[in-house]
Amino acid sequence: MEPLIVETPPVGASQVLLHAERRVGADMERWRSAGGGAAVARAMQDPAAIREEVRLAELRGLGGSGFPAWRKWEAVAAEAPKPGKYLIVNGNEDEPGTFKDRLLLEETPFQVIEGAVVTALAVGANRVMFYINPDLTRSLAAMKAALKQWHSSEFPVQTSAALGMPLELVLLPGSGHYIGGEETASLEWVEGRFPFPRGKPPYPAQSGVHGCPTLINNVETLANVPHIAVQGAAWFRALGKAPGTGTKLYSLSGDVLYPGVFELPMGTPLRELIFTHGGGLLSGKPPKAVFTGGPSSTLLTAADLDVAMDFDSLRARGANLGTGAMIVISEGTGIVKRVAEYERFFAHSSCGQCNSCKVGTATMSRLLDRIDTGRGTAADLTTLENLCAMLPGSGRCHLINGAVQLLDSAFHHFHDEFKQALR
Amino acid sequence: MSNGIPLPEALARYRPDAELGPLPEPGDIDTLLNTYHPDHLRDSVVKLTVGANAGDPCQRELADLLQAEAFIDEADLAGTPVADVDVLVIGGGGAGCAAALAAAENGARVLLATKLRLGDSNTVMAEGGIQAAIEPDDSVQRHIQDTLRGGHHAANPALVSAMTGDGPEVLRWLIDQGMQFEQTSSGDLHTRRAGGMSTARLVHCRDYTGLEMMRVLREAVIQHRSIEVCEQSPAVELLSNEVGQKCVGAVLTSMLDGRLRIVRTRSVILATGGLGRLHLNGFPTSNHLGATGDGLVLAYRIGARLCDLDSFQYHPTGLLHPSHLAGKLVTEGVRAAGALLVNGLGNRFIDELQPRDVVCAAILRECGEGRGIRIDEQRVGVWLDTPRLEQAQPGMLEKQFPNLMARTHVAGVDPRREPLLVHPTLHYQNGGAVIDVNGATTVPGLYAVGEVAGGIHGRNRIMGNALLEIISFGRRAGAAATANRDRGPKKVTLEHVNRLRRALTLAGLPMTQRTPRVLPAYAAGGAWNR
Repeated sequence: MEPLIVETPPVGASQVLLHAERRVGADMERWRSAGGGAAVARAMQDPAAIREEVRLAELRGLGGSGFPAWRKWEAVAAEAPKPGKYLIVNGNEDEPGTFKDRLLLEETPFQVIEGAVVTALAVGANRVMFYINPDLTRSLAAMKAALKQWHSSEFPVQTSAALGMPLELVLLPGSGHYIGGEETASLEWVEGRFPFPRGKPPYPAQSGVHGCPTLINNVETLANVPHIAVQGAAWFRALGKAPGTGTKLYSLSGDVLYPGVFELPMGTPLRELIFTHGGGLLSGKPPKAVFTGGPSSTLLTAADLDVAMDFDSLRARGANLGTGAMIVISEGTGIVKRVAEYERFFAHSSCGQCNSCKVGTATMSRLLDRIDTGRGTAADLTTLENLCAMLPGSGRCHLINGAVQLLDSAFHHFHDEFKQALR
Repeated sequence: MSNGIPLPEALARYRPDAELGPLPEPGDIDTLLNTYHPDHLRDSVVKLTVGANAGDPCQRELADLLQAEAFIDEADLAGTPVADVDVLVIGGGGAGCAAALAAAENGARVLLATKLRLGDSNTVMAEGGIQAAIEPDDSVQRHIQDTLRGGHHAANPALVSAMTGDGPEVLRWLIDQGMQFEQTSSGDLHTRRAGGMSTARLVHCRDYTGLEMMRVLREAVIQHRSIEVCEQSPAVELLSNEVGQKCVGAVLTSMLDGRLRIVRTRSVILATGGLGRLHLNGFPTSNHLGATGDGLVLAYRIGARLCDLDSFQYHPTGLLHPSHLAGKLVTEGVRAAGALLVNGLGNRFIDELQPRDVVCAAILRECGEGRGIRIDEQRVGVWLDTPRLEQAQPGMLEKQFPNLMARTHVAGVDPRREPLLVHPTLHYQNGGAVIDVNGATTVPGLYAVGEVAGGIHGRNRIMGNALLEIISFGRRAGAAATANRDRGPKKVTLEHVNRLRRALTLAGLPMTQRTPRVLPAYAAGGAWNR
């Protein structure tokens, strides 16, 4: 899906990943003169130390899960190569309202490559797949140009020597499906099949691509790795607002004055993001709701404006930071229509291998469309409520859970609005 | 404009058989226009600050509408019924009907939504006729040249060439639809020469050509089974795709109960007409009640480029007296038939068959320099010398201008005995949405035809080209909109409205007014001015 907004944001406060010096595009010389390559050198000397730094830095999976990165790393590092190990750099970014990875890939491709190479050295992976949404043509072009320069530099020889086997970097456009961003679905695509999510266990760390131990990390997660490797865990932790560590790219969109990507300390309050950095709401209207982490999550309302946007604080509220996308809607924007649109997105995105998800998302979407277009009845609303109780956990992956969570929280906060739209 | 010759004195001085002095030297046309044409009034033009035309000059009243808050919010759309059609035509005048018919003939399911009733439009007010190069001594090339010259060479030659080339075919199509035209004794179409034309090219039906045209178009639309007509349903907003860059439908409301309705479609054809009812610069208007510039507002908000927003046509001869007919048009056909313009001193002051803007500026000059005829403090005009015409060709007014005679008869005025007091009236919007030869605007999926489209007439329209334009481009757009074989829209949003709101906020403009206007304030009783 196209980004809702592609304007460049005004320069924000602490910028590590999006620091002006790093936004050099596919230009190896400029990347090097800004200190690029130092992390690779460190990783070649002592890969285990990198893993330790990442653990101390409490780097989380920034693609939506918030799972501590070091756990997956340790799991993969502990496995023996069978005969190799894979690292998948997940750039399948396709959620409505999320547009951060494309910016990193497009403007800082070497930062992403360095992060991936350092990670590969740290966990002993010899094949790195840059798995990128095929619709992000500019990101793909930048990565292609950057990888070409990388291959003609001295790095491949040095890193392969340090690893003890050839370290391959491969650019792999994804399938263009939203579900392709799911961890196990990406394994299928790398193996050459339609990206159907797999059941877990076995986890990819034990048996991933072709049965090899596979580490899958989001682009933003990996882009942080070189900085942790060079500047250390203490520096990284200090960037965030406790309990958050480091910075986070927030994709701000919706009814705000300055939509865009903002790199702010992890744990920045929502109010600061919207009013200080986003310029406030259009026409000075009061905020009504925020879809956090893209739609596969819950709604925040005006009462939640002071919540710190880190994984733990939001989870304590029953919400989810997800990808860091914040779709803000103001009074005057209808919840029913927005939710109906997102459910349509889920119905469209369901891969269809689990019946409950295939039929469930389609039914929810159909009923919401009916309500949205003034043909809904009270019975339709009851059906939706029942589905919200029945469907969660019935699929292999989290798509159905996300779809239900969104609807459930919309019901919770804005039940009246759904009722008003009934016939 | 308080100076001038009082009406009784002027009437006493007036003689239909008096010897008229020679026409004064024409003088420099550009100076005349720059000094007296309303487009050049000081302070009437501002620069647009947001949108596709940022930086371009625009009439102040129109700029206020273009740079304003939307009529609806997204929340208003919850629970709104949705209709799916292939082509949505907004506007029930001549252009809208022609577009709807062309689309339906090409196999589309068409919804035609109109603010008032089908046919409530300026088309029915077009009296003079329709231009088409059909005479043996005429050619499309001459028609092109006249149109370009009349528009001060500001028109888009491709559009002019498309329109004029369609001329004869348009007449044939109209006759097929059942339209009546004036004929010569041998059965040929009767033509007249009017202002700005190098030869006789104006085909007409008495002095109600537009009314006759609308009659047949309206019947054809009502009878066509693929066209659904939705009356009293003004469009208040267009709908865009999720990035706000393609038009995928519109929101209609009902004049009766205010309910909203969403129409999803592959193509939207705007045929909403002009904006006379905004009364630019305080001028009276010849336009019908619904001419409030809605189409320009909708098109601009979704990102379409407009052109010549500072150029409007003021028809030279709008009635000044009696007051309830103020602004009512006296067709240029009367001047084409030979009627002269005479000032309060009993002198001619301009060649009556000059292009409209020149004649208009000349009348304003006479009024401004104290040679007009004054009714009261506000109203000053000049004579349209109809008695002299009657004297020269007895019975001709009755025969050729029955509409004018009927209207004035009801008002107790007899143009055969007393001259008509006239003053320029806001008549036509020369500019509008930028289109290509198929009527497509710069926004995919959005077409504009008729008065709402621009670029065809340059900075001044010559008589008879409006009726030609609405049919020519109406049919082109109808066919092109049907050929758009996109799959239906996935998502309809108001994303483009947010884009404009963002720009307005950044530009520091107030968002107090909600547009489109839908009805002029004096007609709406405030109900439509949210």
